Amino acid sequence: MFNRVVDAAKRALGLQMTDRDFTVFPDDTFLVSYPKSGNTWARFLVGNIVRPHENVDFSNINGIVPGPGATSDRDLRHMPRPRIIKSHQYFDPRYPRIIYIARDPRDVAVSQYHFQRKRKLFGDDYPIEKFVERFVAGHTCDYASWGEHVGSWLSTRNGQPGFLLVRYEDMIRDTAHELSRIASFIGVDATPEVIQKAVEKSSANKMRELEKSQAQMFAITKDTRQDVPFVRSAKTGGWRSELPEPLVHKIEAAWAPLMRYLGYELTSQRVEKPGALDTILQTATVS
Amino acid sequence: MIARFAAGIKYIFGLHHPGRNLAVLPDDIFLVSYPKSGNTWCRFLIANLAYPQRNPDWGNIDQLIPGPEVATKRFFQRMQRPRIIHSHDPFDPRYKQVIYIVRDPRDVALSQYHHHQKRKLIDESYPFDKFLPRFLAGETNEHGSWKQNVASWLAARYGDSRFLLLRYEDMIASPQSELGRVAEFLGVAATPQDLARSVEQSSPERMRQLEKVNADKNALTKGTRQDLPFVRTAKFGNWKSEMQESSIAAIEAAWAPLMKWLGYELASREPRLVEDFAFLPSERPIAVQG
Repeated sequence: MFNRVVDAAKRALGLQMTDRDFTVFPDDTFLVSYPKSGNTWARFLVGNIVRPHENVDFSNINGIVPGPGATSDRDLRHMPRPRIIKSHQYFDPRYPRIIYIARDPRDVAVSQYHFQRKRKLFGDDYPIEKFVERFVAGHTCDYASWGEHVGSWLSTRNGQPGFLLVRYEDMIRDTAHELSRIASFIGVDATPEVIQKAVEKSSANKMRELEKSQAQMFAITKDTRQDVPFVRSAKTGGWRSELPEPLVHKIEAAWAPLMRYLGYELTSQRVEKPGALDTILQTATVS
Repeated sequence: MIARFAAGIKYIFGLHHPGRNLAVLPDDIFLVSYPKSGNTWCRFLIANLAYPQRNPDWGNIDQLIPGPEVATKRFFQRMQRPRIIHSHDPFDPRYKQVIYIVRDPRDVALSQYHHHQKRKLIDESYPFDKFLPRFLAGETNEHGSWKQNVASWLAARYGDSRFLLLRYEDMIASPQSELGRVAEFLGVAATPQDLARSVEQSSPERMRQLEKVNADKNALTKGTRQDLPFVRTAKFGNWKSEMQESSIAAIEAAWAPLMKWLGYELASREPRLVEDFAFLPSERPIAVQG
């Protein structure tokens, strides 16, 4: 009862943490991804092009590209517009403009496993077999399964105006190029110098360095294990060495059509999805 | 400020509408569709099958199969389980067991246009040509566009054993067998007689009659124009006679791939060839007859 009164008071004053339940303005841009798909890195990159004269770091990023889970609706409403907001939400029809980052689910699984270790959700001895089983079922976070998340956004918005699809793998391969796509999408006039500077200021090494001194100032890393880094490998294809083959197959079996659609090569020869047999007619890969 | 205070008091006592914050239970079953796709009819069908002793009508349907925008949080907490809940939301991962009804968007557009007149959102002089672009952009309600709503569910759940896809057109063509599929999905033992009785109890004629008696007791019909019925034609293919060619072409140009995937035959000669739904399985619903 007491909690409810506090909750109600917070709501009346607009102080509740928002997550899904907040005011969206027509000029908002959302930086959306499934968790562990490069969202924080992209926030740094974007932060460094919209505020080229500031030093974006873990202590101020939430003020520049805020996340609704860590900011109240009132604070969000009082931000200067147009806002760029980070989000892990599955499809939300209210979001007017979206930068969507997709990442190979095999790498996402590995990354999420380590991140949940860092968050002390389980110990170092927790079997990855068990984790991947829960991951495929969408039970490891509140934002649906990887396939549901990516599917809900791509099927509704991909190819439409106001939607920019960016692959984490492309960001790793040619960061400056992907960042300039993002810059022109959000309408920031960023010179090649600004882009280059932003890439350097958001490099994995730079972010690791900042993390060392600022982990307690960032909602995502606060009170987590400090012996496990937040900025981990910052590479693609880690699953090849870290994921046992049967788990790779399990992930591919669950989401083969979507993975193919995104251009993620499958290791399994032929993948059957339970209940939906012959999956793809046409393979439209993302260029 | 007073409104906020009142909302706060309601919140404390659980008398607010939970909306998207509804606490979902693992055995909940959701009856989901885009608005104007046969959701209310399906609620009557299911209620007549699952709760026959309650004589479902417009006065109690919101208690039997409530929606999170209409019933209160407290009501949901006190409902008997397993709960059957209706919703128009686009994909929500918390909904684990879902019956999804889809309807030809050309008929949905017409139905929504008439429904907006009934709700006094537009008057009769408001041209359909003006309504349609808003409909296509998903601006005529809060549940996304038709395509977004349908596609978000299909992309996330089609093929899942806990996802049942129904087409409104199939329900009209053979209500009894479609209701049989629903009963099986719900785990309700139903004889052919039960099914036939539920279909009869939920016929458009009967629903229109009941609507006359207690339209004022239902959230959907309360305060709307009483000269326009909620239960309108209860048919499919109205677009063929009621819609201009240019409007038909506009809908098909926007959503051809998904319409084709669902078996809705296109009237325009050259639909767009872009395949947006390549990741949906090629195994798909059978073409609609008639």
